[in-house]
Amino acid sequence: MGDAFAPPDAGWVRVSPRLALARRIVVLPVVLVVVAVVTVALALAVAPWAAVLAGLVGLLAAGWAWWLIGRQVAAVGYAERGDDLLVTRGIMFRELVVVPFGRMQLVDVRAGPLDRRFGIARLQLHTAAATTDASVPGLPTAEAQRLRDHLAALGEARSAGL
Amino acid sequence: MTEASPAPGADLSSRPRRTHPLTPVAEVGDKLPGILVAVFVLGRDLPGGIVVRLGLALLVIAVGVGVGWLVWWRRSFWFDADGDLRIASGVLTRNERRVQLSRLQSVEVSRPFLARLVGLAEVKPEVAGGEKAHVRIAYLSEPDAVALRAELLARSAGVRGTGPVAVEAPERVLVRVPARDLAVSTLLNENLILGALVGVVTIVVAVVSGQSASLVGILLAGGIPGIGLVNGFLAYYDFSVAESPDGLRLRSGLLSTRAQTVPPGRVQAVRVAQPLLWRRSGWYRVSLNVAGSNHREGEESGVVLLPEAPYPVVRQLLSRVLPGVDIDAVDLVPAPRSARFRAPWQQPRLACGLDDEVFVSRGGRLVRRVDIVPHARTQSVRVTQGPWQRWLGLASVHVDSTPGPVKPAARQRAAADARAVAEAQVAHAAAARLGFRPERWARSNPPATETP
Repeated sequence: MGDAFAPPDAGWVRVSPRLALARRIVVLPVVLVVVAVVTVALALAVAPWAAVLAGLVGLLAAGWAWWLIGRQVAAVGYAERGDDLLVTRGIMFRELVVVPFGRMQLVDVRAGPLDRRFGIARLQLHTAAATTDASVPGLPTAEAQRLRDHLAALGEARSAGL
Repeated sequence: MTEASPAPGADLSSRPRRTHPLTPVAEVGDKLPGILVAVFVLGRDLPGGIVVRLGLALLVIAVGVGVGWLVWWRRSFWFDADGDLRIASGVLTRNERRVQLSRLQSVEVSRPFLARLVGLAEVKPEVAGGEKAHVRIAYLSEPDAVALRAELLARSAGVRGTGPVAVEAPERVLVRVPARDLAVSTLLNENLILGALVGVVTIVVAVVSGQSASLVGILLAGGIPGIGLVNGFLAYYDFSVAESPDGLRLRSGLLSTRAQTVPPGRVQAVRVAQPLLWRRSGWYRVSLNVAGSNHREGEESGVVLLPEAPYPVVRQLLSRVLPGVDIDAVDLVPAPRSARFRAPWQQPRLACGLDDEVFVSRGGRLVRRVDIVPHARTQSVRVTQGPWQRWLGLASVHVDSTPGPVKPAARQRAAADARAVAEAQVAHAAAARLGFRPERWARSNPPATETP
């Protein structure tokens, strides 16, 4: 047990790469608009070279965001074990959550308009603790629904009150 | 259920009842200071003399009582066929709520100052399930309130009867906090000392610089923590913990009093804390996470089991709340030395450990604290690691409990065994869920003693 975030025996199930695409579509236009505004402002107010510099930095930032989103999505994973569900995520701030089936109070599946377009959904587990932050974004819709029904049934069977 | 028949004093049954007829008056009485301030202070520019303002105040009060009476008349509560509590309310839009008593987490009977003067009390059953679960039955006469509490607790425990269950379970006082100790412990507060220091500095500055405009500063520095302290003292005055078959009964209050009943097995987590200034006198404060009693506006969240007590008393009470657990016997493993670079202050105190019943974590340098969560109450387990922690080879293990003051976590463990700690906790929790028997709570019965 060397690594605190080592995968369970069965390994992590990774989420759909379409999640990365969906997130990039949300983030990149914002980054690009900011870059464009700053570049134009600098070109008008300071000098063309400042605008070029800012533009380059901005494009680098956009590229970095593109790459980072890919890595973040690749870091999300979940695994079902005999008695609990494991969820992991994060690169800089890593997190691993173990939610016993007997403690699940509610299982939610949510999908925004963009998510639906890409055929993915977010599965959210709730326990009686507000600090339990167990959600799996970017599941294919069918898989999210299957998992929800499966987990709800398991939760019902193992329920142990509070 | 529009035609509710008021039956004050009759048996608590499935017949819909109304609250006490004085309820609208008591509700307005609660807001009386606000009304008077609004009319006489904010409305001082109104034309006309004192008579006009007095008339206005009376009008506001009359309208308040009138509306309150309508609300009261349309509100009723009863026990349904399943034995659960139902509350119907609403003047125009009718609203009916069902309170599932099998999920009852605690019951509070409180007597706000003005209501107390006329012998009224309110009953607040706390049910697990978020903020929407707030239920308040106000006001009842004191005997009715106590009888309703007894009935709620009896039904929640599974006693189902058609007749009145108005017999309250006998209780035995375990601990009583002496008023003198409470006063001293309230005054031994970092904020107050800090406020006093700031006050002294301001006075000195004012005297030296010859300006006298610093009065506001003094008032702000001393007044704001002071109000909190006075409120705390009033709220926890004459604090007592009693044991009854219904559960632990916590009573306190000088002007407004309240009695909170926490049924067996409802305690989710316990924190024993010692602020810096209490170290000399060896006092501790014990607070609890109880599902459902969180996020009450204007109050400290969670349940205070003991506002202030010496360690032997704390231990004695812990043995009631967590039977079969000896926290002093739990082996605590300290955090590694590298944790100094992440938590330089806390590192010498950071430790965690577990036995067959509970998970214990220790931390805090100025305010020393020990958090205890029974394995059977573990909601989920998390391992977290930030970039700086990874650099140092550390990770934190959080044991999630229901919302409240206690947030048990083994912080800054060596990354190599953080996962092992987490997995051990998960395994213990699973075993405890299978074998958990809530009736164990009542089984441990050491003789009751009072604090000297």
